Amino acid sequence: MISIRKLEKIFDSARGPVRAVDVIDLEVAEGEFMVLLGPSGCGKTTTLRCVAGLERPDGGSIEIDGELVDSAGGGTYVPPERRDIGMVFQSYAVWPHLNVFQNVVLPLTEGQRRIPRSEVRDRAREALRLVRLDGLEERPVTDLSGGQQQRVALARAVVTRPKVLLMDEPLSNLDARLRDQMRDELRRIAESVNVTSLYVTHDQAEALSLGDRVCVMNEGEILQLATPKEVYSEPPNLFVARFVGEMNFLPAKVLDAGHVESGLGAIECAVPPGCAPGSAVTLGIRPEHIGMTAGESAAGPRGQVLRQTYLGDALHCQVQVGEVELTVKAVGDAEYDRGATVTVSLPEKGWHVFPEGQ
Amino acid sequence: MRLPRFNGQVSPLLPVALAPMALVAVFILVIVWVSFQSGTLGTVHSSYTLENYHDVLGDSAIYGVIWNTLWFAFSTVFFALIIGLPIAWLTERTTIPGKAAIYVIMTLGLLIPGIFVAMGWTFIAHPRIGFINRWLVDLFALDNGPVNIATPMGMGFVQGMNLAPLAFILTTQMFRAMNPMLEEAARTAGMSATATLRRVTLPLAGPAILAAVIYIFIVGIATFDIPAVIGLGNRVYLFSTYLFTLTFPEDMEPRYGITGAVGVLMIVVALVLTAWYGRVLQRGNRYQVITGKGYRPKMLDLGGWNWAAWGMIAVYALISKLVPIALVGFIAFAPYVAPPSLEMWEQLSLNNFYNVNWELVWRGMKHTLILMFVVPLAVMVCAFAISWLVVRTRSRGRYALEFGAFLPHTVPELLFAIGALLVALFVLKDYVPLYGTVWLIALVYLVTRLPFATRALNGALLQIHKELEEAAYVSGLTMLRASRRVLLPLLRPTLMSVWIWTALLVYREVTVAVFLATESNITLTAVVWSYWAAAGMTEASVVTTLMILFFSPLLLLFWIFGRRSALAED
Repeated sequence: MISIRKLEKIFDSARGPVRAVDVIDLEVAEGEFMVLLGPSGCGKTTTLRCVAGLERPDGGSIEIDGELVDSAGGGTYVPPERRDIGMVFQSYAVWPHLNVFQNVVLPLTEGQRRIPRSEVRDRAREALRLVRLDGLEERPVTDLSGGQQQRVALARAVVTRPKVLLMDEPLSNLDARLRDQMRDELRRIAESVNVTSLYVTHDQAEALSLGDRVCVMNEGEILQLATPKEVYSEPPNLFVARFVGEMNFLPAKVLDAGHVESGLGAIECAVPPGCAPGSAVTLGIRPEHIGMTAGESAAGPRGQVLRQTYLGDALHCQVQVGEVELTVKAVGDAEYDRGATVTVSLPEKGWHVFPEGQ
Repeated sequence: MRLPRFNGQVSPLLPVALAPMALVAVFILVIVWVSFQSGTLGTVHSSYTLENYHDVLGDSAIYGVIWNTLWFAFSTVFFALIIGLPIAWLTERTTIPGKAAIYVIMTLGLLIPGIFVAMGWTFIAHPRIGFINRWLVDLFALDNGPVNIATPMGMGFVQGMNLAPLAFILTTQMFRAMNPMLEEAARTAGMSATATLRRVTLPLAGPAILAAVIYIFIVGIATFDIPAVIGLGNRVYLFSTYLFTLTFPEDMEPRYGITGAVGVLMIVVALVLTAWYGRVLQRGNRYQVITGKGYRPKMLDLGGWNWAAWGMIAVYALISKLVPIALVGFIAFAPYVAPPSLEMWEQLSLNNFYNVNWELVWRGMKHTLILMFVVPLAVMVCAFAISWLVVRTRSRGRYALEFGAFLPHTVPELLFAIGALLVALFVLKDYVPLYGTVWLIALVYLVTRLPFATRALNGALLQIHKELEEAAYVSGLTMLRASRRVLLPLLRPTLMSVWIWTALLVYREVTVAVFLATESNITLTAVVWSYWAAAGMTEASVVTTLMILFFSPLLLLFWIFGRRSALAED
């Protein structure tokens, strides 16, 4: 549905040109929910805005539903109003001088994809029902809460029944509880109108829960394009590992194909091919993959609890094991005293090995 | 340099934005060009020369003029700040009641033209005809009137009172931006009240006050109306009035080369001062502390001093505006210029109204109305184009645009008037007959009103999130429809206030009108001036009184629609 080929975008800045998007390729299938994930300035929003036609690429091409909308070389450029898209903005961007109904109706009456007058009312009501705002038609949008404004924006984006729905951090201005609620609803709405979605966020929880696939970006490049599960369990490099979820890192040296030497002694783990014995690597293990039991009864390395953070559903403990400080996530009602001796278990499958220089 | 682009296309707004800047460049360049010319301009009998500069700098008159101008400008700054600063402090940092009323008084003060007040002050304190002097001479049997308003300092006093609202507005912003928590932090850090004042408050306020001083000084050295009304008749010349006598000498052919040379000197001074102003302002902005949500400056409770504070404001309003203007109104009905007395009261009549050339007044009125309609429209269209390109595009060319729109702010408007005059007389004379038309005046007004309008619109556009426009594009609205349905409705309050503010300033503008007025394009203010200059003080008072009467409903209009953003911007 969306084909991005060799997309390139360069911005002028005070310190010279900045490559915001550095030649990326991306295919989004029909009906797919694709999430672009990355820190600010990684190029995800620029990519989205290029698809919307709000930015003109400096290189490469974009197709929407088989139609070429951007071709930097060929000089093709379809302006945003003639693309079959809907878009939800980070700031909601609901028009403050119009009420809820007028906001949703404007694309139908003034836009390039306008429909016969007689159908406008029904179509707008349908969109408002979809986002559960029916009954608020006559309200000035400025009277609505942030969550409601974002629903108006969503209704406005889907009211023209676009093939593609673009969302630019739509939840980042909402508070935490509302964000979770809207996240589920976004997914429901995208599925019910069967639209192809491109969703930009810097929030990994959003990305993992919403996306059919997640595209992790940094410095204008795609680092990983995979299902949420793969992104979480098989980060291909240190950046993705750091950015998605939490992980303990420690420097190590390769011993052989199945062992590395680290501050915790020799560790059994799968060393990726290409890491010669003696080469430096970074080891990673997620807090929830480390087991922990009180006392010294179990087998395994011993450690001291340094401090702990109670999170309600879990407990984060800082544990000193040898020279290494590890974060361990303990689920349930376990409690440890500060300074208590614990035994940790570090399963072989939990380890990630990242070659140096990544 | 890349042109400002929207999605790769040169915006159709660009020519609209560049047109007024081209005018600015032409007006300034023609002055520079003329200053290096001798002989009959625009003919083969002219040639390049440095003789004009030689003549100007060799004539001792110019040094007297410079001395007078400096005296005048410093007095202006002094009186403006000594009145404006305390009132600003009162409104921003104390519990004085009726703050809205103070704002009304100060805004109106900004709108009432200096020329009217200057006429009133002539009646009050002119060495010969001034009422105070007449009373004092009678009372103490003196030979001469002891008070003389027709000195650089006297005129500086009048202009200082006139510009006190400007000082007020400039420093209110400072008081508002200055976070009292910084002072509280100093106190909790163990500093005494005086140490806090010395080490925290004053250093923080310093740049803003210095910026206000420079700004008022720039306005001061370029003032024409007050020195013209009070000083010309007494042969006290400032830069501006000296330029006027050079451009319109009474008994010989004008030497425009000399005008040009003096004009160039003035441009250089203005540019240097503006550059300094910009640097000081930058330093001041660095001190602005970002204030949190719960930011509520603690107000000083004045208690019984409220009355004294209001007394001071009332005295200021009386002296600066009410008394001078009431006197002008009185003279409009008096048989001759004389102090108000019982005897005079009985002689008041409408006789002066019969002496006024109503055909002339009507003509002036017509031209003023045309200008009040055309200029705000043109200003708004150009300012919108500039602001949109500056705020909404990323090209580096936008900085050039922004600077270009600010430039007219730095050059005194009378120089634009002279530039326009020279262009009409010597450059365009055979191609476009602009000389003696209101359009020539309109072009200068467009240029001089542009900086304010652009700044107001920049501010408003920055407030309107870019995504609101983009949401319209992705909703399928074309640029034109998006502007009509989204952008313009959102900008309407600012556009309204800019419109009315510009119209009001056009109505009251004197300097440009006087420099460019002929029989065929005279405006109302130029009518007042022409009577005054021809010693028709009573007739001038009649027309002024009428102008003030017309002014009142306009002010009301401004108050209803426009005050919000206009106050914050100028």
